[in-house]
Amino acid sequence: MRTPTGLRFAAPTVLALCLMFLLASLPDTIHAASPKSRSLDTSAAAPRPVEETTAASIERDYDHAWKSLVSALESNQPELLDENFTGTARQHWQRAIELQKQNGLNRRIVDHGHSLRVNFYSLDGSALQAEDIADLEIEYRDGSRVLSSEHIRAHYLLLLTPAENSWKVRVLEELPPS
Amino acid sequence: MKLLQRGFFFAMLALTPVICGAQLSVSGTFRAGVAVTLQAPGSGTSTLYLFGPGGAIKQTVQRGTITIPGDNFKIAGRYTAIVDGSNAWFFVNEAPLANISFIARPSRVPAAARGAVLGSAFLFDRFQNLVLASTPVDFRLATESTKGEDRTVTSRNGVAWVQLNSGSRSGPAQFVASSGDVSVRRVVQQVAADPCSIRMKAARAPDGNILVETAPIADCSGNAVPDGTIVTFACVDKRGRSTVDARVKRGFARAELPPSSAATLSVAAGVVLGNEIHWGGGQ
Repeated sequence: MRTPTGLRFAAPTVLALCLMFLLASLPDTIHAASPKSRSLDTSAAAPRPVEETTAASIERDYDHAWKSLVSALESNQPELLDENFTGTARQHWQRAIELQKQNGLNRRIVDHGHSLRVNFYSLDGSALQAEDIADLEIEYRDGSRVLSSEHIRAHYLLLLTPAENSWKVRVLEELPPS
Repeated sequence: MKLLQRGFFFAMLALTPVICGAQLSVSGTFRAGVAVTLQAPGSGTSTLYLFGPGGAIKQTVQRGTITIPGDNFKIAGRYTAIVDGSNAWFFVNEAPLANISFIARPSRVPAAARGAVLGSAFLFDRFQNLVLASTPVDFRLATESTKGEDRTVTSRNGVAWVQLNSGSRSGPAQFVASSGDVSVRRVVQQVAADPCSIRMKAARAPDGNILVETAPIADCSGNAVPDGTIVTFACVDKRGRSTVDARVKRGFARAELPPSSAATLSVAAGVVLGNEIHWGGGQ
């Protein structure tokens, strides 16, 4: 049987275009986690310099905060944020997790590291603001199905406040690329 | 027939994005609480996924122009929308300033102390996003009927801070941080600082003791030191040294020291030493 000429050319073209679109829209798979990099620069802190022990606490507690955020977003357990988040940051992310849970969605984040720079440390030690460049791979999922993924260098602005024996994240806001 | 074949070819070509997954697009800058419009080429229904810092939605939409209500964009930050496996990300910026969170320290401060009053203002929109745009914030510290101290500071990344001298008058001072129509007030109690100088006089009491009494005690700005401030009177004679602590009451402090024929009397409050009196041998 002879195939009409138009169809003979159209079929492979459409197939090729389909493949191109599919490849373009196919989510990247998340790579295995590479060792996490961390750095903290307190040289620009004002009006109060950050003491060495405070810097170590900030690094440790911010790292814990990200671990809990990553776990909470993947497992849809908002209560995991209670230990390291407070105020608006906790409210906002807990709401996001509750809505994820409600819609059967989740996010898997591979955290490749953070580069923190402290801008503001209040004279009375009650608040500390920093900027963070985070290297993240994020998978957006509907149940176990990966919808999309991206590898980003996110620029966060954070505000930390001291609690009884640790620093808690009060604001965690991603900034638009400059 | 050829025309039909060509028609089929172009129709397939045009439908390719729909069949295979179109590229989702979004353009413009967005503000918290405002609706966002996406373009998902093609027709028919699909599922929209939206992931953001304050939410995650999944809903059936009609391809084409998709408008997502502003309620889903209260939180500033990065949002990722996904339709037909194609994603688009965009940023939502904060809304205009609506709240100031103001931390003023300390709540009690000595009068006329340099750089003793600290204020940190955190600027938020009505959704509690930090207001990142540089914004002038006025700080003012004043007691009633005084001009006080005033300073304007431009915020950086939503934070403005100031360090002010306390006023010379004791009493409750209003510490105000304001920007545009938003204003927050805290009260800082200014109290008299350490006494500036202490003068005392001595007289013999009817029972033979030495009665010592200060003149009104004030700080260097003329504020009477608060009642209850401890003043220490000391008497040194051949028997040794004896001291009596007395509390200021209505601006004065008084005490009785043991009788002595010749002694040196002194007075002090905190780190401030007052005058000395040589008792018995003439002053």
